[in-house]
Amino acid sequence: MISVDLTSMIDVVFQLIIFFMFTSQFSELRRTEIDLPRQPGEEISVRLEPSMIVDLTHDGQYLVESKNVDLNVIEQLARAGVSSQNDTDPFDVLIRPDRNASVIYLDRLLLRLSETGVQRWKLATVEGGES
Amino acid sequence: MSVAKKRNSKRSAALGALPLTSMIDVVFLLLIFFLVTANFSKEEHELPAALQTDGGGVRSSDLQPQVIHIKHQNGKPLFTMGEVALSDGKSLQEFLVSLPKEPGVAIKSDPDVSISAVATALQAARNAGFQRRSYVPTDGD
Repeated sequence: MISVDLTSMIDVVFQLIIFFMFTSQFSELRRTEIDLPRQPGEEISVRLEPSMIVDLTHDGQYLVESKNVDLNVIEQLARAGVSSQNDTDPFDVLIRPDRNASVIYLDRLLLRLSETGVQRWKLATVEGGES
Repeated sequence: MSVAKKRNSKRSAALGALPLTSMIDVVFLLLIFFLVTANFSKEEHELPAALQTDGGGVRSSDLQPQVIHIKHQNGKPLFTMGEVALSDGKSLQEFLVSLPKEPGVAIKSDPDVSISAVATALQAARNAGFQRRSYVPTDGD
């Protein structure tokens, strides 16, 4: 009778799990590190992933999926998102701004988004001393 | 051989020898797995708001929303609503509690204000019980 070495089997299984986790969800593992506004935010019972996440750095650079993009690219992405939205899955944007960034950059981004038909947006915050 | 030693060798033979090298291999693999998948960053929260433009991008309502105008004074944000000027989020929240909630609240900001002041105003409006909160971006160009 052939005996199966369980320890080696578990070893191989874990190797496979790690491999598939890395290849399938690598982009979701980390978000760009940003000094977010320090507010408790809103308690949401069911947290839905936003349709689009835009990071806004202290010096006014916009990042989508950790890549530096200009407002024209964001506008294109938003237009595509708005055109494909429906009642059950409305297009919304999560903005992750540096808390010390000037509001000018936020206004420029929101004006572009409003031109594409975006009506709802969310500001990312972290809990901590009020800023 | 003593009686105790004989008993021990019998027990290990019955259980089978533990392959230590493979066991350490698996333990280290698990350690790496949890280190990689663990999220050490702070948990993020959200402050939802509607987007409203001066041109009326959002469906107009019968009631005009109350407007919080954020200004910059002596290096600090100043939250004004008509004649009332408030210097921090706590006092803004206390003031907002006394206002009617149906019209909603709109937030406008001067260009030299930091984004944290906008977050403070949104949080105060949310804590005061306003369901309809909108932000009015201004064209700084």
